[in-house]
Amino acid sequence: MRERALSRTIVLSVTILVFSLTLAGCTAPVQDSLAADWRLTINGTTEKVLTMNDLRALPAVNGHGYCVSTTGFRFGPYTCKGVDLRDLSAVAGGVEEGKQVWVSAPDGYLWVFDSDQLEGRGFVTFDENLKEIPSPPLRIILMYEQNGTPLSYDDGGPARIAIISEQPGVITEGSAWVKWVDRIEIRE
Amino acid sequence: MRSVAIAVLLVGSILLAGCSGSTPAPKTLKVIAAGSLLAPFAEAEQEFEASHPGVDVQIEGHGSIQVIRQVTDLGRSADVIAVADESLIPDLMYRPMKNSSRNYTDWYQPISTNEMVIAYTNKSRYHEEIRPDNWYRILARPDVRLGFSNPMLDAAGYRSLMVLQLAEEEYREPMLFETLVTHHFPSTITVSSGEEVTTISLPEIMRPSDDKVVIRDGSIYLLSLLSAGGIDYAIEYRSVAEGMNLSYVTLPPSIHLGSAEYADRYRDVTVILGFPRFATIGSERNGLPVVYAVTIPANAPNPDLAREFIGYIANESAKGRPGWPAPLPEGAVS
Repeated sequence: MRERALSRTIVLSVTILVFSLTLAGCTAPVQDSLAADWRLTINGTTEKVLTMNDLRALPAVNGHGYCVSTTGFRFGPYTCKGVDLRDLSAVAGGVEEGKQVWVSAPDGYLWVFDSDQLEGRGFVTFDENLKEIPSPPLRIILMYEQNGTPLSYDDGGPARIAIISEQPGVITEGSAWVKWVDRIEIRE
Repeated sequence: MRSVAIAVLLVGSILLAGCSGSTPAPKTLKVIAAGSLLAPFAEAEQEFEASHPGVDVQIEGHGSIQVIRQVTDLGRSADVIAVADESLIPDLMYRPMKNSSRNYTDWYQPISTNEMVIAYTNKSRYHEEIRPDNWYRILARPDVRLGFSNPMLDAAGYRSLMVLQLAEEEYREPMLFETLVTHHFPSTITVSSGEEVTTISLPEIMRPSDDKVVIRDGSIYLLSLLSAGGIDYAIEYRSVAEGMNLSYVTLPPSIHLGSAEYADRYRDVTVILGFPRFATIGSERNGLPVVYAVTIPANAPNPDLAREFIGYIANESAKGRPGWPAPLPEGAVS
């Protein structure tokens, strides 16, 4: 009986230890609260505030995404799922030709796309060896899933910009891949 | 007893997975540096590690503002910060850290300087003709393609525009900037001359309308294009051109942005970027001599080791090594 009691104590201790380690960050934390607390403000002819559920309810597109930093460090390749920036902008009135979309994040980062880029034109594209290649059709999306799982905070989650194509291995310049997006403004 | 065995196995697995912190690991020195420092710092990394057994120097590169933002806005940990514009450290880091009364830093050490040059290869059109006294006429020829970095992303980009504007005044060629830059963008680039300062205002999107001008996010992409013959000339830092064994034309000190003596002249030009990419810094970039600087964030995990690394970098920079930014003039080190 004493042995069984000792075993139970050890199992309980180990359980507590594992739980403590989990709390201390030694296992991957679930990102649910990240998505639950997230809000996206879209300002155009009207202003709308979306939740993650609202975003996921919009038509989703999938594609291959791969980006490179200004110093040549590559991130990816990924399979990406999200909402086309044109569809997202349509929630607040849409983007007419000649207008711009200003995408920003709470870390103070801002990037601007023009209506041409929203149609997938005007991007520089590279192959895996960072040799420039003619650009295949591209789409700008607000990505919420990467490689089949919700986007983690470290990867810019719960939602970040991605530039995707149907063709794998196409690398785009990473400066436009805004992380932690929380505001989209449509401007003249 | 089976439960005991499982428990022991479980704890063992956790320990092996590295969660206990008991596994001895090499000491890591995290260095975040401007892109134009990556090649010299890669050499320094090898040499410093060789003289410091058990130390792993990890170097990460970004544009200079992004280098600082890794620590200030993104809350990442770093031991050494190295930027290509000394003014950025006081502007962005002399302020309290989040949840602390201490500043991110209160000091910086200038370590080296650089100057802008016109880099080319033997594939470049008219490379046999180009010289320090005719480079601007060669670049202005209609069939010559010129590349520079995106001013929104790279200090070398807005410095390239400053060089071209200063050249217009230096050589009394009033249409030079227009011929080389303004004419090749569908969105308006305006140049307005005030009493003391000429201001170049850029559009939000820096996308040329023809092949005369090519803009890329960073130097490495320009250099790749230059090697492949996709452009004929690139405006680059001298150390980068030397590090890549490229031919280059030097520019007069009055316009190359590498001479403290001409600081007042450089201040004659300001570039206003198309939008404030970072909330923590405005869109205005003023003409200044290029001075590289380093600091140690107040919350650096290994400040003593960081000081040693900085000392090493400063000593090696002072030697004027090939491919490294040039030593500062005597007496310029604070």
